[in-house]
Amino acid sequence: MTPDQILAEVRVMLIEIIGAEYALSLDIGMDTSFDGDLELESIEFVKLAAMLTQRYGDRVDFVAFLAAKELDEIIEMTTGELVTYIAHCSAFAGAVDG
Amino acid sequence: MFIHGLGMDNLSSFYYTLANPVAYAGAEVILYDLRGHGLSERPRTGYRMGDSVADLVALLNALSVKGPVHLVGNSYGGTVALGFAVTHPHRVASMVLIETHFRVTGWAEQIAAERSRVASADESALRRWLDRLGRKATRLADAADNLLDHTTFLADLATVRAIPMSRLRTLTCPVRAVYGEHSDVVDYARELDEYLPHCVLTVMAGCGHSVLMEASPALRKIVLDWFVTQTPSGIR
Repeated sequence: MTPDQILAEVRVMLIEIIGAEYALSLDIGMDTSFDGDLELESIEFVKLAAMLTQRYGDRVDFVAFLAAKELDEIIEMTTGELVTYIAHCSAFAGAVDG
Repeated sequence: MFIHGLGMDNLSSFYYTLANPVAYAGAEVILYDLRGHGLSERPRTGYRMGDSVADLVALLNALSVKGPVHLVGNSYGGTVALGFAVTHPHRVASMVLIETHFRVTGWAEQIAAERSRVASADESALRRWLDRLGRKATRLADAADNLLDHTTFLADLATVRAIPMSRLRTLTCPVRAVYGEHSDVVDYARELDEYLPHCVLTVMAGCGHSVLMEASPALRKIVLDWFVTQTPSGIR
C-alpha cells in the first residue's frame, strides 16, 4: 500500500472518531498532529490504535511502535508518523512474503 | 491488569505510558475503563468500592482469566486492587501500587468542593471559555459533569470505608509501591511500609500525585524490573 492509500484510510477512521462535521472542516494530511491540530482526546487515540490494529495488525506491530516512544512523543505524534510506520511495516511484510 | 484512577482518568493514561512496554516485554496486558469513565458505560449507580471490585471480578471472569493476575493500579485504581486482593487473594500474583490511597475518607468532600468552586462561576461565561479551548476541553468537561451530576458517583464515594489494616496484614502477595515525594498521599507510603513489611517502596523525588505522567521513564523501568523479578521464567 502506498502512504497516500494508508493516509486515506486513516482519514476515514479519524472522521469516524471525531465526527464528520469537525473532521471535514480540517485538512488532515501527513503533518496533522493528533493533539494540536485535531484535539484528539487520549482515549480517542486509543480507539484509533484499536481500529488500526484491526485493519493492519497482521503485519504492523503497534505495541512495538508505541513501546519505543516516550509520553511526549506519543502526545505530539502526527498522522504522517503513523502512516510512515504502517507503510514501512507493510512493505517489509510484502517483501518477506515474496 | 492495569487499573486507572478516578475522575478525569481513563485507560489511556496507562496506554500512553506503561502498558505497551509491558506488552512488548511479553506480558498479556489488559486495560479497562472503570464504570463511568472513558468509553465504558456510565450507569446511574454502582460506584462504591464493592462495585468496583465486583466489576473487576466480572471482567476477569468474562475474559476467562482464571489464574492469578499481576495488578497495576494508579491512585484509586490501586485501592481497587487492594480491595480485590483482600477479598480474592488467590487471584492476585502481585501488585504495583502507584500513588494509591488506602484510606479514602475525605475524597467525596474534596471532589464536591472542587465541583462547587467551578459551578459557582458564571455558567455561560464558563461555557464560552470552554468552547474557545476547543472540542477536547468541552468534551472532557461534559464527561466529568455527566459523572458528577447524573450518577451516584459522589454519594457512593462518600460511603467508601478504609480497608482495615488488619486485613492488609493478611496480604501475602508481593507488592511494589511508588509514591511522589510531594504528593498529598505520600504519608500512605509510610503506613503501607509498616503494614506490608515485604512491600518494596520507592518515593520519587520531585514528583507529585501525577507520578505516572511526571516520571514515566523511571516508572517504566521500575515496573519492567519488577515483572522480571516476579516472573523468573519470563514475563508472561
